[in-house]
Amino acid sequence: MQTDGKPWSPYLAGALSGLVSIGSVWFAGKYFGASTTFVRTAGMLEQAVAPERVAQLDYFLKNVPKVDWQTMFVVGIFGGALIASIGDASFRYQAVPPLWERRFGPSKIRRGIGAFLGGTIAMFGARLADG
Amino acid sequence: MNDLIYGLITGLLFGFLLQKGRVLRHEKQLSALLLKDMTIIKFMLTSVIVAMVGTYLLVDLGLAKLSIKATILGANIIGGIVFGLGWGLLGYCPGTSAGALGEGRWDAIWGIGGMLAGAAIYAEAFPAMKATVLTWGDLGKITLPQVLGINHWLVIVPIVAGSLLLFRWFEKKGL
Repeated sequence: MQTDGKPWSPYLAGALSGLVSIGSVWFAGKYFGASTTFVRTAGMLEQAVAPERVAQLDYFLKNVPKVDWQTMFVVGIFGGALIASIGDASFRYQAVPPLWERRFGPSKIRRGIGAFLGGTIAMFGARLADG
Repeated sequence: MNDLIYGLITGLLFGFLLQKGRVLRHEKQLSALLLKDMTIIKFMLTSVIVAMVGTYLLVDLGLAKLSIKATILGANIIGGIVFGLGWGLLGYCPGTSAGALGEGRWDAIWGIGGMLAGAAIYAEAFPAMKATVLTWGDLGKITLPQVLGINHWLVIVPIVAGSLLLFRWFEKKGL
């Protein structure tokens, strides 16, 4: 069994993240969110191949394809997790999570297809619920 | 420009804490959905109650404004069910997929690709949704204290107390 670095109590980490959220509202006037970033980024990618289509869609008028506070927030989450996991040696390259492997086997391709489909469905639902 | 720097710093802190709390992993997310390991609920609910108290204090002091999204029952319920199906399959959510990638769980990249595709599909479907699901049970921008017609602290205190009882129960049951 590999060791898992130095995890913190989820209560402590959660409470501190609540304080970070309060600080963000206080100093920057920003509430946490991530899914709008996927809309803006999808719009930016789509602009590269079909700019006239993007210009026609109401949803991209409401959520203009651009880099904003939330984009940098999501980039920061990546960086923060990288720093924390390297710092306590819990960083692992892993293509197939253990629970998935137990149920669906070790195929990286199968996991890739499942994860892609899951992501597609999850984001559609998240945007529909406006979350 | 300031906004972008604030966003990056806030994200770095949040990502660090998500990783330290060990809530980014596929097995943690799935184990919460299977009601076997409540680590994610502990993190999320602690974060929510701390932020709820602090945010309402800021609002009471006139230092912040709430940002309330509309409650649309059709969209919230159907969207929630669809999100849950996808979440169970992927095992990361939009924010945590970036963090999971950060700690080396690179299957998250397929999820991120899927989420970009899902966002593009939703942009195409939006006019149809606007004419149907997004009109079903539109209650506007409501809050619990407003619906109950009471001061917000009379809602906040019971939620904090209830959460603490739930945490005690989790610890007793070893969840």
